[in-house]
Amino acid sequence: MKRLLVGIILLFASAELFAQQNTPPLQQQDATPPVAPQQNTPPLPPPPDEGAPPLRPTATPPPVAPIVVAAPKQPNGKIQKSLVRITSTEVEPDYRAPWNTGAIGRGVGAGFVIDGPRIMTNAHVVSNTRYLTVEREGDPNKYPARVLFVAHDCDLALITVDSPEFFKNMVPLGLGGIPELESTVSAYGYPIGGERMSVTTGIVSRIDFQLYTHSSIDSHLAIQISAQINPGNSGGPVMQNGKVVGVAFQGYSGDIAQGVAYMIPTPVIRRFLTDIKDNRYDKYVDLGLTYSKLQNPAQRRYLGLPDDGRGVMVDTVIEAGPAGKALKQGDVLLSIDDHAIASDAFVELEGERVEMPEVVERKFKGDKVKFEILRDRKPMTLRIELNTVWPYQMQAHHYDTRPRYVVYGGLIFQPLSLDLLDAYQTGDPRVRHYFDYFILEQIYLQHPDVIVLTNILPDPTNTYLAAYRSSIVDEVNGKKMTTLNDLAQAFAEAPDRFVIKMIGGGPPLVLDRKEVESARERIRTRYNVIAEQNLNEQPVSAQVSAKSEEPHS
Amino acid sequence: MQIRVAFFLVFLLLGVSPTVWAKKESTTKAVQPRQLSLLRVNVTGQGYDYFRPWQKRAPFSKRALGAVLSQGRVLVTADLVANQNYVELERAESGEKMAASVEVVDYEANLALLQPQDKKFLDGLSPLELASDTAVGDRVAALQLEQTGALVVTDGLVTAVQVMHYPVEVGQFLTYRLSIALQYRDNSYTVPLVKNNKLAGLLLRYDPRSQLMDAIPAPVIAHFLKDAAKPNYSGFPTVGFDYFPTRDPQLRKYAGETGNGGGVYVTDIEPGTPVEKAGLQEGDIITAIGNFDLDQNGNYVDPIYKKLDFTNLLTTRVYSGDKVPLKIHRQGKPMQLDVTMEHRTPDEYVISPYSRDEAPKYYILGGLIFQELTRQYLREWGPNWLKEAPQRFVYLDRFQWELFPEGHRRVVILSQILPVNGTIGYEDFGYLTVTKVNGKDVHSLNDLAEAVKHPIDGFDRIETEEDPKVIPLDVAQAQADEPTLRENYGISALQRLK
Repeated sequence: MKRLLVGIILLFASAELFAQQNTPPLQQQDATPPVAPQQNTPPLPPPPDEGAPPLRPTATPPPVAPIVVAAPKQPNGKIQKSLVRITSTEVEPDYRAPWNTGAIGRGVGAGFVIDGPRIMTNAHVVSNTRYLTVEREGDPNKYPARVLFVAHDCDLALITVDSPEFFKNMVPLGLGGIPELESTVSAYGYPIGGERMSVTTGIVSRIDFQLYTHSSIDSHLAIQISAQINPGNSGGPVMQNGKVVGVAFQGYSGDIAQGVAYMIPTPVIRRFLTDIKDNRYDKYVDLGLTYSKLQNPAQRRYLGLPDDGRGVMVDTVIEAGPAGKALKQGDVLLSIDDHAIASDAFVELEGERVEMPEVVERKFKGDKVKFEILRDRKPMTLRIELNTVWPYQMQAHHYDTRPRYVVYGGLIFQPLSLDLLDAYQTGDPRVRHYFDYFILEQIYLQHPDVIVLTNILPDPTNTYLAAYRSSIVDEVNGKKMTTLNDLAQAFAEAPDRFVIKMIGGGPPLVLDRKEVESARERIRTRYNVIAEQNLNEQPVSAQVSAKSEEPHS
Repeated sequence: MQIRVAFFLVFLLLGVSPTVWAKKESTTKAVQPRQLSLLRVNVTGQGYDYFRPWQKRAPFSKRALGAVLSQGRVLVTADLVANQNYVELERAESGEKMAASVEVVDYEANLALLQPQDKKFLDGLSPLELASDTAVGDRVAALQLEQTGALVVTDGLVTAVQVMHYPVEVGQFLTYRLSIALQYRDNSYTVPLVKNNKLAGLLLRYDPRSQLMDAIPAPVIAHFLKDAAKPNYSGFPTVGFDYFPTRDPQLRKYAGETGNGGGVYVTDIEPGTPVEKAGLQEGDIITAIGNFDLDQNGNYVDPIYKKLDFTNLLTTRVYSGDKVPLKIHRQGKPMQLDVTMEHRTPDEYVISPYSRDEAPKYYILGGLIFQELTRQYLREWGPNWLKEAPQRFVYLDRFQWELFPEGHRRVVILSQILPVNGTIGYEDFGYLTVTKVNGKDVHSLNDLAEAVKHPIDGFDRIETEEDPKVIPLDVAQAQADEPTLRENYGISALQRLK
C-alpha cells in the first residue's frame, strides 16, 4: 500500500512524449524525409549533454564483452519473426468535462507473438485505445488489431489480428522462468519510436516487489535489469536462451537514480494467462489487510510469541475484503498455506525467500488460503476465500471506462477517485482526507462513492453557489447519499426544492427545482453537455472485451 | 467556507545594502517629521526545535526600529521579539545602547511594547501620538534610518483598508494596504508609518515586486495600547465562527428570509467561544451588530472606511468584556443576542494555533518521542507546511472543532522514534496519533505521563489511531536504554511537561 509515485515513467512512446523528449531521429525523419537516403543511421549524433548516455549504441560493458562475443551471434534466435510494432490511437477520458471525449493521442509500443496465436503486450500500450494496428518486420502492411484481454492491475494485455496472413511465418515465443541474478538478458522493442527493431542487453540486477505505476496501487514481482529500455520498449520481450523471461514495462529516472529499467517476470505473465483461460480476467485477489513486522523482542513477548523469528501482526482489516470477517487487529499470522511466515513478513517458496503477499499473488479468485494464527495467545487455523477488494479501485487509475458523473442545474457531481484528483488538482483538505483514508478509516462503508461537487457551469440559477465547490455531498432532502446512483435518483424525483447538505457543516445548497428545470436546456446547450449523466463505468468501445473490466460497486 | 484573501506578501527582513540610493520623495504636505521619534532595536532570540524538542535552535539576531511613545514606551511588532533572549535599544544618533524588557506582547495583533531599563534613555526623543483617522486615498510616510542615523522618509498611498489575517493567522484585523516603493535597508523590521507627525501604522508585510505593503493600522495599535494599560492584558476578542453570504435567493428562501435585507448565514461555530455561549446557532442569520447593519456579503458601512467586513466590529472596535448586541433572524424570526466578548488564548484550542516564548512539551519513553500536536509543530515543515507536513495532522488541525467538539483536550502524537535496543523493529513508525496508553485515554501529555506510571505486566501498551495500532514497550528495557538515549542523542532531559 505504499504509493511511491516519484517520476516512474511508463515505457510507452506516445506522440506527446516524443515532443517532450526532443529525440532527433524521429523529428529528422518527419521533417526532411527525402534528404537522408540511409534512414536507419541517424544523421545527427544526439546532443552530447543530455542525450548521449542513453542513446549510445554499444551498451556492452567491458567485463561482459568477452562472454557475449563467445556466444552465438543471435542467442535468442531470430526475434524479428516474433516481434511486432503496435500503434495505438487512444482517447483519454476527460474528467473536467466528463461528457466529452478527451485528448486523442497516438503511441507506439512493442509486442510479441505467443501461442494462440496471440500477441502479448503491456496494458498501457493498448489502454483507452480506439484504433489499434500492428506491423511486423519485412512486411509493408499495417494490420488492424483488437484487444482480447487487458489486465490493468499487472500491466499486461493480449491482442490479436484477425487477418489470417498476419501470423503466417510468425514464430510464437515460449516463456522461461525467473532469470538468475547477474545473468545476461536482451530487450527487444522500438524505443523512442524507431521503425526498426532495437536490441539492448544487460544483466538481471534485482528481483523484488515493485509498484506497477500503470494502476499505481498494485505491487507485484518485478525484475530490474541493466539493459537500456526506453519509451517504445513497452510490451517488448526480454529474452534469455531463446525464451521470454520478462516484458519490459517501466523505468525510473529521477533525482535519486537514473536509467533503472523493470520488466514483468514470467510468474506474473503466467498468472495472467491462467486467469484468462475461462475467457474472463478476474484480476488479482487480495486479503484486504495491513500488517506489521514483529522484530521487536518486547513486542514478541507481549504477544506471547517465542523468540523464533516467526509471525507478523495484523494491523487493519478491511471490512469489505476477504479477511474482513476472518481476521482481527492484533492477530499474529504464523503461517500461510503451511509456509512459515518470518517476522520480517517473508516466506520460503520453492527455495526462495519471498514476501508473504507472493503466496496470495499466485492465487485466483475463489481460491482459499490457509492461515495458522495466534489470537489472544491461542492458536487457530483459518481458511479465507480470496477475492478482489473493491475499495482499492478508488485509489487506482482507471482505463477503458467513461467517467461517472451527474450534471444537475449546471452543478457537476463526480465520485472521488485518483483520476478525478489528478484532473482537478484539488487541495481541499477534506477531499484529500477522504481520498487518503478511504480504506484505512473504512470511509467506503458510509460512502461507497464520495460524491464531490467538482465544478459549476455558470448560469443565473447557480451564480451564487461557487463557494460550494469541492464540497462532499452528504444528504439530499434528508436522505443520505451513498452512491452516485442515489444522487441521480434523488434528482429524478419532483419535490419543490432540493436541499443538499454537505459534509462538515456550512449552509445546505438549495436548488429550486422549477428554476433548475427551466435552466436545464439552456445549460446543456450553452456548455454542449451531450449527456447529463453517466452512472456506469461501462467500457468505452467494443474494442475492449467487456469481460476484462467490471464495475466495482 | 469563508473567502480568504490570499495575497502573497513577504516579510521585510534584514536589509542588504546600506548604500542604496535614497530616492527623492515626492513633496507632500506635512508628512515630513520634524523631530526624531525612532530608535534602533536589537534582538537576539532562539527558537525551539520542534523536531528535537529538548533543545533550542541556534541564536538569531534581528535589527529593527522602534517607535517611541509617551511614558517611556517603545512600540515594535511582536514578530520582532518572538522567542527573544535579549532586547537592546540603541539611540540612532549617538549609538548609545541600553537593555530593554518586553512589557506586553500580542502575537495575534503582532504588537509589542518595550521599556528601557531606565526611561531617561529616551530623553530627547519626541513621543509619537496616534493618527487614527487614516482613510483610503491618504498619503502616509514610512520612516527608516540610514546607517548614519539620518532619517529616510518614503511616501506611500493608502489604497485599501481591509480586514485580514495577521502572521499567526488567528483572528482577522483591520489592515491598511499601501502602494509604496520601500527600500531594503538595515533596521527594516518594524517600519513606522506617520501622517502629520503622528503614528499611523506599523509595517506588517511588504512585497517588493508589487510594492504593496500591509500595515497594522493606528486603530489596532490604539486598541492594543488601551488593553496594555490595564493590569492584565486580555487580548483582542475572538470571533469563533464562520459565515456565508446570503446572496443566493434559494438559500434565502430556505432560511426563511423574505425581502432583500442583509445578513450573513452562520456556520461552524467553535465551541467555547463568546457567540456560542451567547446562544448563537448554526443557520442563524446575523443582520446587525450593534448599530451597524450587515449587507448580504457581511459588510457594514464604517464611518471612516465605508464598506468593511463585519469582523472588524467584533475584533478591533470592541474590547474583551464588552457586551455586543447581535441582531439575528432564526428561521425568519428576529431575535437579539448579547455577546460578552472574550479573548481565547492559544491554550484553549485543542491544537494550539501558535506558540512563542514557550518551550514545547515532550515526553521521551525508551526512544519514543511523544509531543502534543500544535500548529507550530506543523509549521516546522516550512512555508508549504499545508502540503508537506503529515497530512493527517494537517487534517486534525484544520477540522479540530469538528473532530473534537468537546474541546478541553490535546492531541498527543508519537512524532518519531530514536533507535535504541528497545526500539528495534519500530524504526519506521512515526507521525502517529496516540489514543490510549495502558488502557487509559490520553488527552494530553500529562495523561500520558500519568498512564505510564501504571504499566501492565511490565509493558507499556501504547495504542495509536493508525497502524500498527498497538506498540508494546518493555518498561525495564526502556529504563535500561535511557543513559544511551541521553548520550547518543544529546538529550538533556527526557521530558518537559510544564
